[in-house]
Amino acid sequence: MDLDLDVPMHDAIEDQPVTQDEDKNSGNENELTATTTSVDEDEEKDDFKPGSSGIADHKSAKPLELNNSNINQLDQWIDYLGKCQILSEDDVARLCKMAVDVLQFEENVKPINVPVTICGDVHGQFHDLMELFRIGGPCPDTNYLFMGDYVDRGYYSVETVSYLVAMKVRYPHRITILRGNHESRQITQVYGFYDECLRKYGSASVWKMFTDLFDYFPITALVDNKVFCLHGGLSPMIETIDQVRELNRIQEVPHEGPMCDLLWSDPDDRGGWGISPRGAGFTFGQDISEQFNHTNDLSLIARAHQLVMEGYAWSHQQNVVTIFSAPNYCYRCGNQAAIMEVDENHNRQFLQYDPSIRPGEPTVSRKTPDYFL
Amino acid sequence: MAGSDLRRKAVLRHLDLVGQSSPEEEEKDALGELPSLGNHELKIHHRPVNDGYDNENEAVLGWNDFFDHQERIRVEERNFEFNTYYSLPKSLEEPSVPVFVFHHGAGSSGLTFANLSKKMEEKTDGRCAVFAFDARGHGQTRPIDSEKDVSYALSEFVKDFVTLLDRFFNSHLSGLAATRLSIILVGHSLGASICTFSHSELTTETKKRLVGICMLDIVEEAAIKALEKVHTFLLSTPNVFANYEEAIDWHVSHGLSRCRESAQVAIPALFTGTKSGKIMRITNLKDFQPYWDTWFKGLSQRFVSSPTAKLLLLAGNENLDKELIIGQMQGMYQLVVSQDSGHFIQEDEPIKTAITLIDFWKRNDSRSTVIKSNWGKRN
Repeated sequence: MDLDLDVPMHDAIEDQPVTQDEDKNSGNENELTATTTSVDEDEEKDDFKPGSSGIADHKSAKPLELNNSNINQLDQWIDYLGKCQILSEDDVARLCKMAVDVLQFEENVKPINVPVTICGDVHGQFHDLMELFRIGGPCPDTNYLFMGDYVDRGYYSVETVSYLVAMKVRYPHRITILRGNHESRQITQVYGFYDECLRKYGSASVWKMFTDLFDYFPITALVDNKVFCLHGGLSPMIETIDQVRELNRIQEVPHEGPMCDLLWSDPDDRGGWGISPRGAGFTFGQDISEQFNHTNDLSLIARAHQLVMEGYAWSHQQNVVTIFSAPNYCYRCGNQAAIMEVDENHNRQFLQYDPSIRPGEPTVSRKTPDYFL
Repeated sequence: MAGSDLRRKAVLRHLDLVGQSSPEEEEKDALGELPSLGNHELKIHHRPVNDGYDNENEAVLGWNDFFDHQERIRVEERNFEFNTYYSLPKSLEEPSVPVFVFHHGAGSSGLTFANLSKKMEEKTDGRCAVFAFDARGHGQTRPIDSEKDVSYALSEFVKDFVTLLDRFFNSHLSGLAATRLSIILVGHSLGASICTFSHSELTTETKKRLVGICMLDIVEEAAIKALEKVHTFLLSTPNVFANYEEAIDWHVSHGLSRCRESAQVAIPALFTGTKSGKIMRITNLKDFQPYWDTWFKGLSQRFVSSPTAKLLLLAGNENLDKELIIGQMQGMYQLVVSQDSGHFIQEDEPIKTAITLIDFWKRNDSRSTVIKSNWGKRN
């Protein structure tokens, strides 16, 4: 809870002698030096096709029913994952299969009742996620809505996403997990989740299972018909919430089009629609937000996707709020995190928090290139 | 090491004085009838005379395999005669004519962009213009008065770049309606820093036509750290080879160049012939050491806050520093990572880089992009 704790953490990352300069195959600069596993990458690159993990080969025709046996299993996994330990590959397969049978029945616009606590990006910062549950109250006593970006950049993407998916399967009516732009095959190959899976499991199979599962995540939620929640923002092709319901979401995040926009767009000070500097999605002005909220009889658009130094930020005269739940993002950005509680009477309260106290950061070597002129 | 440096300097000084090829030929090439798009005359392909190396050698590809023109631009006020390469668009009828202006990094040359430039022309069906040149201290660019002191501070590179841009536009694209010109600055490594810091120095006219800035494989924090290791790198990098083929082979086999076609034109440009028949590296990075601390300081902050469209194309791993992470997570610029590429991404992945740059131009050029919306079209 004390921001000062960040300083030694940051230094630990910076000052670590570079030990892996020569290790060209180890890939990621966020390498955990202690747990490097060598992997034949050529073999892995072959079948990255959606569905290749097989987790959705035998989908059930009706939602997963919890019984004593699978509740016990899930509780065991949650207990284990809560200590920041990974499940076995077989257990991840079992978990993902169960999750498909929960998520495939959720709508593109998941209806949610108040009270609920709304959260933004987590990005593999597992200990901060645990801190989030301490601040917001334990699940399932508190209802949670997460707006995507569970993986990449942080060092514990596997633990983070495994934990949230296990909680989702165990308490399907208490926790909602939306899809963010990082819940994608393409993005995770660049920003760390893919490398982390290789490192922790020795193959890409767990990455394939999770990325196949991501296709089933709902893309938006509607809290008591008043607060529209999604990862990125609005789309010039989506004027009504009904138009979101018509989308076919079970696919990799596309490069363009309405589903891409919902996961990529940002609010902007300029009015109207704008080209997004990100290279995907659009920017939208206050006029657009006001019109959307008016057309759909909403009081607010809640979204994540952008780092805001206080953990939350209003824009467009309180038509839009941005929530970011990864404190000291990437262990170096110095930002606070926040979550937003919406109570039975639709009152909103923001809870801010700083990075969690943890036993010690993983030893990290930031790779310096040999030649960079 | 010191001995070979001295010898090389002596050879280079000699080259500066006598010119590296017959001055008559060079003059003919530079002053020959240059096409001017100002009069809507399309260029005539004229053969190069001065390649700086033997074109008969099969291992080597000449600049003319990639660019339509080579021109020496004499800039008295900068005390340099710059060696430039360019190709002009085939048609001027398009509503937007993109001009990609390239700046190479330290120790490289304008021909590092040769293969990329050709791929860009192919991918745009000849619609774009490309311009590359050898910066001071590189390739075939020479001081006019070699007795004068030469600075390699960032600000000097920036002034050269801005001056050359103006010269190029005025001589070759002045006839084109300003509204049609779309300028994209593309820099590699140190060149990316030069492009970014040039933004505030551009003339109002140029700024109006600017679509955006693309940085190829540069991150301030990593670059500053890498400078500490340059010495080690230089120790392991030979400066003399028996011939161009051997130089190309060495760079390819050491992973410094991962696309042979690019290496065949880019690597020979780094060397010059000696009397003994061997070839010697032109640029000595150690000469630049007093200026290193000017090259990258404040780059990430400047890039993120530049009021134009921005693309950062990284090779290998995503290794952003704090400023770039915050900027990226606030949606301030586009980040693309090409994992299978080495540092010289324009040479290693010319097609991928070309497509990325063209997409960047198309997306950010208000003359070519219309945002489609179905709002207000419901029944």
